[in-house]
Amino acid sequence: MLSESEIWDLLVQRLPKENLPKRLNIITDTSDYYKIGYDDIVLLNNIPYLIRHDQKEGRFGIDEQPKFWVKKAIDLIDASQKIIKLTFHERFTSRVGDITFECFRSSKKEARILEMVRGDRRFMQGFSVKDSAGNIVRIIDFIKGINYADYILTLGSSHEDYFFNYFPQVLDEYIELVKAIAFLHENNEKHGDIRRDHIIREKNTCINTWIDFDYNYIHKENMFGYDLFGLGNILTYITGRGDVTIQALKATNSPAFYTLNKDDMNIIFNNRVVNLKKVFEYIPDELNLILLHFSVGAPVYYDDTRQLLTDLQELRQKISK
Amino acid sequence: MDKINRKILIAVDESENSMRAINYVGELLRGMTDFRIFLLHIVLLPQDDYFFNEEEKTSWIREKKVAGEGILHRSHKVLTDFGFKEDSIKEILIVESCSSVGECILQKQQEINCSTVVIGRRGISKKEEFIFGSTSNKILHTPKSCTVWIVE
Repeated sequence: MLSESEIWDLLVQRLPKENLPKRLNIITDTSDYYKIGYDDIVLLNNIPYLIRHDQKEGRFGIDEQPKFWVKKAIDLIDASQKIIKLTFHERFTSRVGDITFECFRSSKKEARILEMVRGDRRFMQGFSVKDSAGNIVRIIDFIKGINYADYILTLGSSHEDYFFNYFPQVLDEYIELVKAIAFLHENNEKHGDIRRDHIIREKNTCINTWIDFDYNYIHKENMFGYDLFGLGNILTYITGRGDVTIQALKATNSPAFYTLNKDDMNIIFNNRVVNLKKVFEYIPDELNLILLHFSVGAPVYYDDTRQLLTDLQELRQKISK
Repeated sequence: MDKINRKILIAVDESENSMRAINYVGELLRGMTDFRIFLLHIVLLPQDDYFFNEEEKTSWIREKKVAGEGILHRSHKVLTDFGFKEDSIKEILIVESCSSVGECILQKQQEINCSTVVIGRRGISKKEEFIFGSTSNKILHTPKSCTVWIVE
């Protein structure tokens, strides 16, 4: 076990003198994650991690909220940046549209998936260790990049420019992302919280990486239905180069606003347009038909990720012609 | 379908539509004493991640089993009230972590070799079906070696 003086020596190597903490606070039991803060040392498996700030997460215009159980940290042995996720087992009722269902957060699930996807860059990389109290702590490699939602908005000067000059490449990347989720499903694991901001586009490699696997939900007949819904939302987003809402179309007096009906909207989020061909007429039918599987008017849904992938691959072949 | 037999599997849960399915079978086959009825209740066990610890899991299962046995006994009684003999009805309770209840029902049907499966349709909304799936639709659209009665 590293001694205090050895840890101090490592700190001296990693930080400028003026930034050194006044005293060492070494933590091996992470149960009370509220008490773990800036400059603390979390010692796990004899590796000291220097804690920096709590991670934050924001969404849909809501201010970023601190996630007290997720800390940015520096591995004092190799100086790499890490995200340390401490055990926070919670159960809660989640709501999408007017549907509610029981969700839970599990460090065990995330640890299991990290093990399963080791070396697969389509997923965040890391490992889990148990602290002195037996809590499962995940040590995640920090990914430098931007989230997928923000990335999409940087492409093209208009939707038409985006669609004809960037979308084929975006679609290829999306297909890879769906294949990654299919891999989880084939191994009987859900992602659990598929959202466009749970994909980080790594700055140097441009690899899109799924993050955050600790969510789970009580499924009913279709174990992967909610994951599929998330994939459909992302496809709609990348096709529309952002959310195309009924409110935005009305505000801009778009002619499409007058042609849309209830069936054209997202099955859960009824203000988001899914029948995007009515807005962007150059969208190929094959793509629009896939999107319509996620609409109020859909007569059939995808049962599994493989069905979605088959349609996407057929679409991709047509687009490249 | 293989040879038709007189074994019927009825999947039951706490819902009203499940009781409708029981009443339908009771009413339809009343007085026909040579059928064997298998009442099946499935406790869908969440993944281990759901539970804080083993004790909680054990107590969760115990609670669900008690509730499931209650459902089975009530269904049993309805059928005997329709005139089915006690020994022609078998109650089956399984606790399983299956990815699909529909598949689980059909697996049991194969094991028991029933030529008829009966379920009630829950009448869930389109949105719910989209997110969670529908057991009756799953059973209807899965290749199988039996006839399915879906009771509205």
